[in-house]
Amino acid sequence: MSGCPGSKTIDFSEKTVQEGSESGKRPSQLRQWPIQMHLVSPHAPYFQGKDVLLAADCTAFALGDFHKDYIKGKSIGIACPKLDTDQEVYVEKIKALIDEAKINTLTVIIMQVPCCFGLVQIAKEGAEKATRKIPVKQVVVGLEGNILSEDWI
Amino acid sequence: MENVLNKEIKKIIDTCPEVGKILEEFGIGCVPCSIGSCLLRDVVGIHNLNPQKESTLMYRIEKAIYPDRRISEPKVGLSKKSTPKKISYSPPVKKLVDEHVLIKRLLAMIPTIVDYVMTSIKVDKDLILRCVDFIRTYADKYHHMKEEDILFKYVDNNAEIIQVMYKDHDTGRGYVRQVVEGAERGNKNQIKENFLAYRELLTQHIKKEDEILYPWIDRQLTTTQVGEIFRKCNESDASAGNALPRKYEKFIVEIEELFLQEVTK
Ligand SMILES: [Fe+2]
Ligand SMILES: [Fe+2]
Repeated sequence: MSGCPGSKTIDFSEKTVQEGSESGKRPSQLRQWPIQMHLVSPHAPYFQGKDVLLAADCTAFALGDFHKDYIKGKSIGIACPKLDTDQEVYVEKIKALIDEAKINTLTVIIMQVPCCFGLVQIAKEGAEKATRKIPVKQVVVGLEGNILSEDWI
Repeated sequence: MENVLNKEIKKIIDTCPEVGKILEEFGIGCVPCSIGSCLLRDVVGIHNLNPQKESTLMYRIEKAIYPDRRISEPKVGLSKKSTPKKISYSPPVKKLVDEHVLIKRLLAMIPTIVDYVMTSIKVDKDLILRCVDFIRTYADKYHHMKEEDILFKYVDNNAEIIQVMYKDHDTGRGYVRQVVEGAERGNKNQIKENFLAYRELLTQHIKKEDEILYPWIDRQLTTTQVGEIFRKCNESDASAGNALPRKYEKFIVEIEELFLQEVTK
């Protein structure tokens, strides 16, 4: 098998549910709109001084507890580093989030596929361009929704 | 076992010295600690052993204290080749770890400086006072104050390990006062004893922080807190000015070169 691992077909429908519970209702933890990186404005009030999550589109679907573990308490921007156009805009927006919205931290959450690391690159570039410095964290999600790593970069 | 967990480590070791040996085997050095009022529960918790190691440790301790009790041995033994994992720090903590490096470079020079003091006819007061200035301004004011005023505030300040850290900082200040007094009076032995004591104290202190305290604090911090601490430490550094760390880096390079030449002469 060859080709891009980012679009390789994998079927894990046979996987049985191991743990966790489906009982009870989980409310959404989203506290803003819009969320797509081209649509959000770094000047939106919901970014000011906040902890920001920059999420690769697919992560929200892969992670069972995305709302509870990652959106809760954070403001969010979503993007796909493989398919989105005009990604220089993202770099500028991240710079503005750091310098102008004075965000507290930036967490970049991506899938384990190689092309997804492009989003970390974008975040790093934006952070390097910014004059303020903030802690940046990278979280890598496995295809089956497991957290592979969580590191400050 | 539950009530043993809530006992002070020093008392446990006093009544059963075997426990001290077992802890040492697991890389937990409580025996030489001067305070030892940490509870066994916290001592084990703070070292973040993997579950197998922890259950083996608890089994051996229980067996040592109650040799007659029937305790079932945990299935997984202590794996011989468990490699020490690299510690990854959050950015603000990493900055403090990096500052330790410069402090350790001074500590490394202390025996040479002490030799020089002991063998020279007149005490080089200026050199001693410059070292003291490094310790008081860089190690204490610039570095220790960020620990005391910012980082330690994010964890339980009554935790024994934090109390030990405050006490170490204070003891260090006492040694430095003695070094200054020795330099003023030209008392070589006073300089020697207190300089070496400071070196020993800070070496252990930094090791405790790098390997145990900081990772323990990092494990408790939320992302939001990491951001806050980072900002507060940056503000503290900014108020001290960019020139300060540079000035003291230069000083260390200078004395390293000075004494390296002495040695190779
Ligand atoms: Fe300290
Ligand atoms: Fe320290």
